[in-house]
Amino acid sequence: MEVKKAVGLDVGSQTTKAVVLDGTGILASAVITSGDDAEASAKAAIEQALQQTGLQFDSNLYITATGIGAKSVSFSHQQKGLTTCLARGLHHLLPSVQLAIDIGAESSTVVKLNERGKLSDYANHDKCAAGTGIFLQQMAKLMLMSLEEMSAHSFKAKNRADVTNTCAVFAESEVISHVHRVPPTPKEDIIAGIFYSVVSRIMTMCKRIGIKKDVAITGGVALNKGLVHVFEQEFGFALLVPESPQAVAALGAAIVSKETLEKGT
Amino acid sequence: MVVAQKSNVTLKSLDLFREVNKTFPKTTQILDLKQQGKKVFGWFCTYVPEEVIHAARILPIRITGYSEEVELDDGNAYFYINNCSFSRSCLQLGLRGGYEFLDGVVGGSTCDGARRLFDLWRHYIGTPFHQVITVPRKSTEPAHELYYQQVVEFQQRLEEFLGIKITDEALVKSIGVYNESRALLKKLYDFRKLDAPPVTGAETMEVLDASFRMPKELFNNYLKELLAEIEKSGNGYKGRARLMLVGSVMANPEFVRCIEGQGGLVVADELCTSTRYWSDPVLLKKGEPPLLSLSRRYLNNFPCARMVPSDDRFNRIIALARDFNVDGVVSQIIRYCVSYAHDLPLLREKLGQVGVPVLALDVEYGTPGSGQIQTRVQAFLEMLEAKRK
Amino acid sequence: MTVAESRTDKINAIVRASRLILRMNPARPELQKSDAIYYKMLATYFTRLLEAPQKGGFVAAHTVFFPTEILYAMDIVPMHTELTTWMAAMFLGEQAELLAGGAELGLAPEICSPHRGLAGAFLLKALPRPDVMLWSSLICDNSAKSGELVMKLNDCPGFFLDRPFQRTKPEVDYFVGELGRMIDFLEQLSGKKMNWDRLSEMVARMDEHIKLLQEISELRKAVPSPFPYQGYLKLLSVDYMFPGQPEATEYLETLRDELAAMVKAGKGAVGKERFRIMTLFIPPMYMSGFLEKISQEYGAVSVVEPLFTLWMEGGLDPSKPLESVAKKSFLIPESRTMYGPLSKQMLDEVVQIARDYKVDGAVYWAFIGCRHTCATIKLFKDVLNEIDIPMLTVDCDLVDPTINSKEEIREKLERFFELLEER
Repeated sequence: MEVKKAVGLDVGSQTTKAVVLDGTGILASAVITSGDDAEASAKAAIEQALQQTGLQFDSNLYITATGIGAKSVSFSHQQKGLTTCLARGLHHLLPSVQLAIDIGAESSTVVKLNERGKLSDYANHDKCAAGTGIFLQQMAKLMLMSLEEMSAHSFKAKNRADVTNTCAVFAESEVISHVHRVPPTPKEDIIAGIFYSVVSRIMTMCKRIGIKKDVAITGGVALNKGLVHVFEQEFGFALLVPESPQAVAALGAAIVSKETLEKGT
Repeated sequence: MVVAQKSNVTLKSLDLFREVNKTFPKTTQILDLKQQGKKVFGWFCTYVPEEVIHAARILPIRITGYSEEVELDDGNAYFYINNCSFSRSCLQLGLRGGYEFLDGVVGGSTCDGARRLFDLWRHYIGTPFHQVITVPRKSTEPAHELYYQQVVEFQQRLEEFLGIKITDEALVKSIGVYNESRALLKKLYDFRKLDAPPVTGAETMEVLDASFRMPKELFNNYLKELLAEIEKSGNGYKGRARLMLVGSVMANPEFVRCIEGQGGLVVADELCTSTRYWSDPVLLKKGEPPLLSLSRRYLNNFPCARMVPSDDRFNRIIALARDFNVDGVVSQIIRYCVSYAHDLPLLREKLGQVGVPVLALDVEYGTPGSGQIQTRVQAFLEMLEAKRK
Repeated sequence: MTVAESRTDKINAIVRASRLILRMNPARPELQKSDAIYYKMLATYFTRLLEAPQKGGFVAAHTVFFPTEILYAMDIVPMHTELTTWMAAMFLGEQAELLAGGAELGLAPEICSPHRGLAGAFLLKALPRPDVMLWSSLICDNSAKSGELVMKLNDCPGFFLDRPFQRTKPEVDYFVGELGRMIDFLEQLSGKKMNWDRLSEMVARMDEHIKLLQEISELRKAVPSPFPYQGYLKLLSVDYMFPGQPEATEYLETLRDELAAMVKAGKGAVGKERFRIMTLFIPPMYMSGFLEKISQEYGAVSVVEPLFTLWMEGGLDPSKPLESVAKKSFLIPESRTMYGPLSKQMLDEVVQIARDYKVDGAVYWAFIGCRHTCATIKLFKDVLNEIDIPMLTVDCDLVDPTINSKEEIREKLERFFELLEER
């Protein structure tokens, strides 16, 4: 019988990620926009990844699901927490990392790895959208620009407008008042303020569990150079950004699948 | 807006205080004194008897947080989000080296925020000397005995730390300096009783902020200069109503300016950064150790909301409202400042009984006053005006 | 319905609920005897309160960590305000009403919810009117401030017991003085006399209770650990409601014997013990059944609670009753650790406890209304992490069920257990 393929699935509220491993490494991966039906999105993501390989979505897969929608995926073989998968995926990609920041759409997580690359601690917040991907998207809408444009503009900031980090609703009204002020606060300064509000919120989590080098950033937000730059200013050193930062948790889940398969045989 | 008389002149000596506040904690005065080998101690709460530190030839300064509303990511990480923003702000400033010159910190067991601030400071920042003084919540005779014992012990530990003796003469001298300061501040406040006070509430707060951030002798000199200038100026301010500020610790003149910008003239307060800091002099008694007179003053002082019974605080607030001819009271309570929050329903009722309405604001430490606060002050002033008609 | 009737309604509900639990006795077979004693005690406590008006009893309302033994020795009927309020609210599902009452009084939402709720309960006349209100500086600004409002709402006299901050001789002496002054006040007010012999007996029994509680803690060191996850609420209530009472001796002795038998038989609180948890601060009270279920499902047992059930020191002297009452106030685990400067020694002690009890992980229940405990989260996390013990922090509310959902708590605990598994 053919060896089962190890699959990792990260079902987020905005995107669903799938990674397929074979004996030597990553065979294929896919990132798709999540639909209303988590199960359908999960299936679609795996199918898209498999397309690149000529493999079929069949019983010859072993699937570990993680992420907010993991529980709705009935065909997964096991579920693991996002923190565990992030740690596993990161250690595989960047073994020197001891602390990682993952900014997801609805919640942000900070994970700490021990010397063996195992998850040793984490902190997360999910009671409020402040400091999350959704918050940044909301802000982009208010600023009438894309996230990429925001990132580019942020480098031009001379000052930083005050934007609170405690509550997304308050932050939004502050940004609106900056925009409508006479004269309006320069756009790049408002953006700098928005980025800083996200960063300072997450810095609190990092400081609570303790900062240790190297530090990596994952999730789609890691592609936002402007935001990463603000993080680097706060840390005082450069952050590591893995290749396809969005798929790190899915990769971790795939590694967990692989381990399970190996243990089984 | 608070309206200045046409003839009003700028008070130049206010700049002396502003300079101190602008650079605090690292003022040139403090850094110079450190350079000369003088020790500097920070204290956390007005129940710490400052004169003892002064008599030991150490410069006492009050630990305050950022003078603006800043992101408190260190404060949040080391404290927790449900601690008052004053203690988080102080700790963050300390963690980031703002007070790195301190040789000692002295706290009191006065409220949950203050005692934890002391714990965390000692653990994560640390200073060669640290002590927390137990402050009873009553001012009965046995409570006075306990507090006196605590002050005696503090003095002894200080003497051991420095290897010196703090003499009664030195204490009496320090008490003299501080009493002079209190008397001068009373003069400043007496001006505010006038129909058209020559200083605004915001300016007064600038003076008071400097009062616990610099050598007292120098402060007294600055203040004398200011009082003389005020006397000469013939200045006067009128507002839509005369207001008194009550509630949590607050040291931001911008907040007062925000209220005065709406036309509410702030003429009095009961804040621990202002009136409660200076109001009662130390009464030296013949045949009584000066330290005892000192400790009596500190426990009998205009009470913080932490003290029981709270009627003592309420009665003094009502007396102030009368003395300063106050139309309304603005209560500003920092979120999670529980002692003041608990008192609010009873205080509102008591003030209501003497016809003084209360505007209750929830704030964060360092806030310069937001649009929402402006709107609420505006509505309050309209209500006060309507009431007068 | 008259107000007087409505005022006994809630207490009645607790008595009924206690009796119902007593009849059903849902505890595991090994612990059924002690459980029955516990619920009988609870029913007796509230029945006494209920019958006080008819029997000419004098009722003293008091806040948490109050030396209730003084009331028992004076034949005064105690009413633990926080516990009575919240037990009633939980059994009746009326938490929201009480909190709304607190809001109506103008108490800010940042004030600790049990205290907002208890003020609300008196405003709504949902509790019997006490003859006197007693409160103290233990354990926070909330407890120190809640008495005056209650006095006003009930139009009753009151006494504030000033418990100093540190355990030094002058401070303990001051507290002994405070206790004496309170007794004088109560004697004058109630016409009841302090029975010093009785107080001595109670002190002797409290000393016995501390030893029993220590033996129980010791038994919990066993692998597997025998005590159910939520049992500590019962351990807490011994000093909350029954200090120095013979029923409490019976309860603790029975429980100790039952646990000893379990340890001897190698039986644990859960089927298969996988995780030994140190619980820091108190989980949401209304979730106790749910947390017990999770504990069983995941094989996670709370083996020690250094901040609220672990008595590190005893040694009360019946020949010095008042001094012993004062001393006990400094020994109560929570007042010992959470009121007073948090020293390095205290942190080291928690590290040692983690080792002694073979703890795998710690869970800090960050009750958002409790500012002074939450301020220690980082301190505990840092020292535990140093010896490689992870600590989960869960934001929650002790009594308000709208703050957390069960799913959310489950998710957080699952994730934490996964981390422990991974290691």
